[in-house]
Amino acid sequence: MTVIRLARRPDVWTVLKWVVAIAVAVIAIFPLWWMVNVVFSLPGEPVSINPRLWPTSVAAGIDKIAMIFAETEYFRAYVVSLIYSILTIFGVLAVSSLAAFEFSLFDFPGKKITIAIVMLSLMVPTAVTIIPTYLLTSELGWLNTMQGLVVPGIASAFGLFMLMQFMRAIPRDMIEAARLDGAGHFEIYWHIALPLSRNAMVTLAILTFMRTWGNYMWPLIVGTRPEMYTVGQVVGLFNAPLSHQTVDVVMTANLLAAVPPLLFFLIFQRKIVEGIAMSGTKG
Amino acid sequence: MSFLEISSATKSYGRHKVLEDVNLTIERGEFVVFVGPSGCGKSTLLRMITGLETITSGTISIEGAVMNDVDPAKRGTAMVFQSYALYPHMTVFENISFGLRMARKPKEYIASQVAQGAGILQLEKLLERRPGQLSGGQKQRVAIGRAIVRDPRVFLFDEPLSNLDAELRVQMRAELMDLHRRLGTTMIYVTHDQVEAMTLADKMVVMNGGRVQQAGRPLTLYDDPDNRFVAGFVGSPKMNFLPARVVGSDMGRILLEGIGGSARLSLPFAGELAVGTSVEIGLRPEHVSLRPLLPTESSEALVGEGKVAYVEDLGAESHVHLTLTDGTAVCLRAARGEASPGTTVRFFASPERALLFDAGGLRLRNRSARTK
Repeated sequence: MTVIRLARRPDVWTVLKWVVAIAVAVIAIFPLWWMVNVVFSLPGEPVSINPRLWPTSVAAGIDKIAMIFAETEYFRAYVVSLIYSILTIFGVLAVSSLAAFEFSLFDFPGKKITIAIVMLSLMVPTAVTIIPTYLLTSELGWLNTMQGLVVPGIASAFGLFMLMQFMRAIPRDMIEAARLDGAGHFEIYWHIALPLSRNAMVTLAILTFMRTWGNYMWPLIVGTRPEMYTVGQVVGLFNAPLSHQTVDVVMTANLLAAVPPLLFFLIFQRKIVEGIAMSGTKG
Repeated sequence: MSFLEISSATKSYGRHKVLEDVNLTIERGEFVVFVGPSGCGKSTLLRMITGLETITSGTISIEGAVMNDVDPAKRGTAMVFQSYALYPHMTVFENISFGLRMARKPKEYIASQVAQGAGILQLEKLLERRPGQLSGGQKQRVAIGRAIVRDPRVFLFDEPLSNLDAELRVQMRAELMDLHRRLGTTMIYVTHDQVEAMTLADKMVVMNGGRVQQAGRPLTLYDDPDNRFVAGFVGSPKMNFLPARVVGSDMGRILLEGIGGSARLSLPFAGELAVGTSVEIGLRPEHVSLRPLLPTESSEALVGEGKVAYVEDLGAESHVHLTLTDGTAVCLRAARGEASPGTTVRFFASPERALLFDAGGLRLRNRSARTK
């Protein structure tokens, strides 16, 4: 009996671990909660002398959302962001998986050095490459176009790295069996490598979505015309010092921008964790 | 012209030679087993036949057509891998039919081929399952099924049974023999297990160090090996090798001394062997006995003495391991309870059963007294 009681009593470390975990969770969640709180309250209420930590008026929130959709180009920005994200996802998946297929399952001259160069690019900060990329995009006449937004983001060194780790775990025997079965190079990719990497592809798609949806800098410099504004830029306009918007309206714009990635994460969080864990070990 | 001919085939990776001067002929319908220790090049040779490895020099031809540059899928070979290499995301039906689908065969043809293959291998009830839901033996059958539906000229098996447990291995071995009998197709099988090779093969090819050591019927290799490696590799327990020295030759016989320390033996031998040459006598464990031989069996038996190191009792028989005075180990088959560890015993062997090897391990054949 004593043994059972001892085992049930949490030790100091367990308690500490929980305290730290809860503290981190509160710090992470509080800003989001505050945003919701500000949006779904009467203007000024959450920041009054006697602040509230919970929403007081759903109707007020809905009014603000309706107002933003009615009076700004927020909906158009949503569509632009969505197309931008989806095209980037498909582009990244196609390019990364094709490249990873070659790099991880076949040998060819110059393979090592090519991988090294691609991996090196992971370490170069975006700020360094953004001007050359901009100049190139501009040369191509792609400013203020969808391809200008999408194409530079398609070559993802991270995606290549992740899928490569994953595809390396595909047994060579399986590829050879497919070859003997008469499958051509592309058929092996399409029928064997791609389906076997499904989990990693899903993870990469989600991570790409999060990154693209939240990308502020690139759309800002490539899409300068209002009709090419993404959600990120529109939120930026609301946040600008001279926008003369009240806090609750700015928060509403922020909340609308945060909803898609939040939903995505809530739906796919298990897949994301699984995929990242798998890309490090084996398939 | 043989069905499959390998002539002067070599394989090297850079400077490292994996296979050297392999010459081999295989007849239609033969069950050929490549056997040898790990790294001897047997799997590489198999992969060269199927086209998964290039041939550095020499040729491999099937039915007279040189295959060196023919695409693996077009050689008419089908391979069963050690790891089964089933596609985990496809059902058994999809796995088996994959090759036919890649060849864009009509749906009815695919269905009938798969049904036929599944019938042969009793896979009918498993067609909708995925490999993850199958046992080892079932996976193996699916892998064979995938090969069968392509109707190949040659089946290639790369250690297909090594992932199975002992009981299942024996069962699958019988199934493979039965399959070979029913299909009558040429089969080439790679294994490192000489028992598997002995039981399956019409022709056994013993390989070592990238070279074919000997090829022939299993019992021919057992009784009449070309060299010390083949003699030692084929048979379990292994052949005993006793060092000896030639001290004289006379009238078609040679006299050996210093066998296992002090024993002497006179052997019928027609050939040149200088006095003082070091040789080795090879004796199979079943040809060494703890009982004196009958006078009719041998007039001048090899008689030696050794200490029983340990005894392996297998029920029907025992393997007695002796250590001779010069440290040579000898294993012999004996009846249960014939020897006990720690005791010193005498052993007997007939000179007619002894094989001679020179210092380089090559067999010294006695042309006059032995028939092949």
